[in-house]
Amino acid sequence: MQNIRNFCIVAHIDHGKSTIADGLLEFTHTISQREAKEQLLDSLDLERERGITIKSHAIQMKYSAQDGNTYTLNLIDTPGHVDFSYEVSRSLAACEGAILVVDAAQGVEAQTISNLYMAIDAGLDILPVVNKIDLPSAMVDVVKKQIIDLIGCKDEDIILASAKTRAGIEQILEAVVQKIPPPVGNENAPLQALVFDSVFDSYRGAVAYIRVVNGTIKEKDEITFFASGKKYLAEEVGTLRMARIKTGELKAGNVGYLIAGVKELHDTKVGDTVTHTRGGALNPLPGYKDIKPMVFSGLYPTDSDDYENLRDALDKYRLNDSALSFVPETSAALGFGFRCGFLGMLHMEIVQERLEREFDQSIVTTLPNVEYWVSKKDGSKIIVDNPAEMPLQGDIEKVEEPYVKAQIVTPSEYVGNLMQLAIEKRGVYKNTTYIDPTRADIQFEFPLSEIIFDFYDKLKSISRGYASFDYEYIGYRESDLVKLDIMLNGEKVDALSIIVHEKKAYTWGQKVCTKLKDLIPRQMFEIAIQAAIGTKVISRTNIKALRKNVLAKCYGGDITRKRKLLEKQKEGKKRMKQVGNVEIPQEAFLAVLQIED
Amino acid sequence: MKETALYIHIPFCDHKCIYCDFYSIITYENTSSYLQSLKKEISFYAEKYNDDRKIISIYFGGGTPSFMEPEYISEIIEHVKQNFVLAENPEITLETNPGTVDKQKLENFNRAGINRISIGIQSFNEDELKFLTRIHDAQTAIKTVCDATKAGFANINIDLIFNLPGQTKQKWLNNLDEALRLPITHLSAYSLILEHGTILNKMVLDGKVKMQSDDYDAELYEITIDHLTQKGFEQYEVSNFALQGYECMHNNAYWRYKDYLSFGTSAHSFVNGKRWWNFSSVKFYNDAVSKNGNGIAGEEILTKEEMLDEYVMLALRSSGLDMNELEKLFGRSWLIKNQNYISRLIEQKFLTLTSTLLKFTSKGYAVCDEILAKLK
Repeated sequence: MQNIRNFCIVAHIDHGKSTIADGLLEFTHTISQREAKEQLLDSLDLERERGITIKSHAIQMKYSAQDGNTYTLNLIDTPGHVDFSYEVSRSLAACEGAILVVDAAQGVEAQTISNLYMAIDAGLDILPVVNKIDLPSAMVDVVKKQIIDLIGCKDEDIILASAKTRAGIEQILEAVVQKIPPPVGNENAPLQALVFDSVFDSYRGAVAYIRVVNGTIKEKDEITFFASGKKYLAEEVGTLRMARIKTGELKAGNVGYLIAGVKELHDTKVGDTVTHTRGGALNPLPGYKDIKPMVFSGLYPTDSDDYENLRDALDKYRLNDSALSFVPETSAALGFGFRCGFLGMLHMEIVQERLEREFDQSIVTTLPNVEYWVSKKDGSKIIVDNPAEMPLQGDIEKVEEPYVKAQIVTPSEYVGNLMQLAIEKRGVYKNTTYIDPTRADIQFEFPLSEIIFDFYDKLKSISRGYASFDYEYIGYRESDLVKLDIMLNGEKVDALSIIVHEKKAYTWGQKVCTKLKDLIPRQMFEIAIQAAIGTKVISRTNIKALRKNVLAKCYGGDITRKRKLLEKQKEGKKRMKQVGNVEIPQEAFLAVLQIED
Repeated sequence: MKETALYIHIPFCDHKCIYCDFYSIITYENTSSYLQSLKKEISFYAEKYNDDRKIISIYFGGGTPSFMEPEYISEIIEHVKQNFVLAENPEITLETNPGTVDKQKLENFNRAGINRISIGIQSFNEDELKFLTRIHDAQTAIKTVCDATKAGFANINIDLIFNLPGQTKQKWLNNLDEALRLPITHLSAYSLILEHGTILNKMVLDGKVKMQSDDYDAELYEITIDHLTQKGFEQYEVSNFALQGYECMHNNAYWRYKDYLSFGTSAHSFVNGKRWWNFSSVKFYNDAVSKNGNGIAGEEILTKEEMLDEYVMLALRSSGLDMNELEKLFGRSWLIKNQNYISRLIEQKFLTLTSTLLKFTSKGYAVCDEILAKLK
């Protein structure tokens, strides 16, 4: 156990976490240079495109250190986005140390800070690394100073590296061996193994990635998962290199995988503890949380005949992503679909994109919303994750919404713009810390609903891309929220209802009405578009009746062409959604998602 | 006996008008070889379809058929008579452009067997005629109609186009009034269509010409229907109006789903549920006819559903859909599927129901395509 080191890398997005990891794997001959070209730890296409890690993975290296010993190094990768912060926390709990990577040209950013704090909170030893020192725009001294201010280390503790030229890689490995403590634990104690990740294998079922904290797990052991209470037989145990290496057992301090015939990813929950069914530990490891979705949206098939297909796709998708939740729901406008819960906006986008790309689904989504707590005048309390379920305005005593604490790091010249944006987004200013004279770390509290929408894009645009942002959930607070309905000829379009702050309702309503006027084609009657809170109409416009749509000529030579055109038009009409008599093109629902609030 | 209409395409033109997307050519070199092909093709189909048919109409379209010599047309008519059985009083129409005929030539056409003249006047306004690049002026147009009457034609159609760029309501009304002063029995009033591949389309794309709005088009259309019906012209199709008893038999053959055989370049035929069309180029057509006896470039055999769609579309576009007849041909399912929608259309005065005939109101004709697309 003395020769094992478990560590992770924390960094802001694009600061070089993956390339540093590649450098380590290559130096230890875990992978060849050619293999390193592909950033290995990010294995989904989408992750590679976005340069972020969604799922964490682990890989083991053997390193012959300068002290003459060979060490087993387990590098545990962490997801790089706030939507997955619980998963990050479990990955961190599997480590004793963290390499903090900061880009020499960018300096400390919001995620550098938030991930660092999480690592420190998890009790990890920090190895600071300034990466990309070969860049012409590198400001090594400035960034070193920022890091010293941030973690209070000494100048000589900071390793200067370039994942590209492989400078500093050996130094990092030496520091891992010397400065990160070996794991502590008793291999003879009752088994406690932390599940820090799990993946789905179509042949073997759920594969749990585990850190054995105490005890030893062997193949053929009878095991129990604490959270689900379910019992299994350990079929296969091993370590993780480029592939799974079957070892037959894993002892305290080590990291590896466990296959136990678990059919669903749900039953290998991240944060859960594995123990022996007989003579096992009395208590699980601390820190298990059942993760809850934060953002909700309706997903509907473009063609209502595809409802069953979408259900199959969601079922299959969930095998690989236990964080996604879904229940059937019906919309008068969109037909049969599902209300889905996501960890955050990125998670939602990923699910949608993967459903479209990998499962070939064509879907329409409704505006995302958070979960509200509604207290009614009759004393009852309900949870609302769909605007359609909001009680009537008159029956509501109060509405509470989730708030987050946000950390924004920005060059100081954009502080003014940021304050402006924060006001628009109902932010509550908390405090400012200067990382150095030119960079401010500002904290706000925001309603979650305000930042799930277009906050990130706006932040980037007001700061020319320099500001960065991270947040964590802090609890529910009362707000003046109302349900805003959109009506076409007096009929509610349920899929367009939203819950919105009273002060923003008017502008929002106006924007939606204008957008719909542009996108709904003229029909044979006039269409009144209204935005209303309860019975009070706050915005209205109308689409004039279609007065002429007829081909002037249709003689012998025109008939085939005209019939084909008609077939196409009928097909188009079939794809329209209908509310009352009004036909709404799918684009109208999508366009509402693009409206800036 | 199965009533059948014949169409004969004459592709030759003096020049190409900016809005025209018909197949036409500006050379007369191939006229005689084309005549031989036409005759060969007529014989080919007369033999193929000798199943108890009688020809109720012959229609010479183009192109500019009136540009040909009367003997040319006469030779075709004679050839048809030799090969097919003609009904007692077949309608024989010649499309005619002002500026290509005088009284004498019209008399000769009449003698050749033509009994209906369709004159492509388009407008009585000099500026509009120039814009449309027509070769005639207003005076010639009027004279052509009068000459046709003098030459013995009692059944005369004229074509007019509305919603031209910049056309005021008054200008259009003037056109209609001018037309109504003439001894015509039939009027086709077409809203200007922007067809792909026309010079006009390019002008619009280049921003040189601006089309008027659909709403304005709707207003002009409404004026047209009101004005013509007041003067005794009944609307029997989206763009066609006639005095009682002067509806075009040939057009009605298309719209009432009768069989038609067509000869010449780009001509479309429809017989026993099968549709085919000829090559558009004179050269390809000539080559095909000399090789195969026909000029077929493509064909389709319609499914029952496609036939139903076409039947409904054509009937509603023209003088109405007879529900009894529809049921006889296609069964009840269409009526059952569309019952609710149809009742709503009647209620909202887009359709009228007289006995078993569903017919568009003028408001209904205007949004015909929208309604057709919503029928199941």
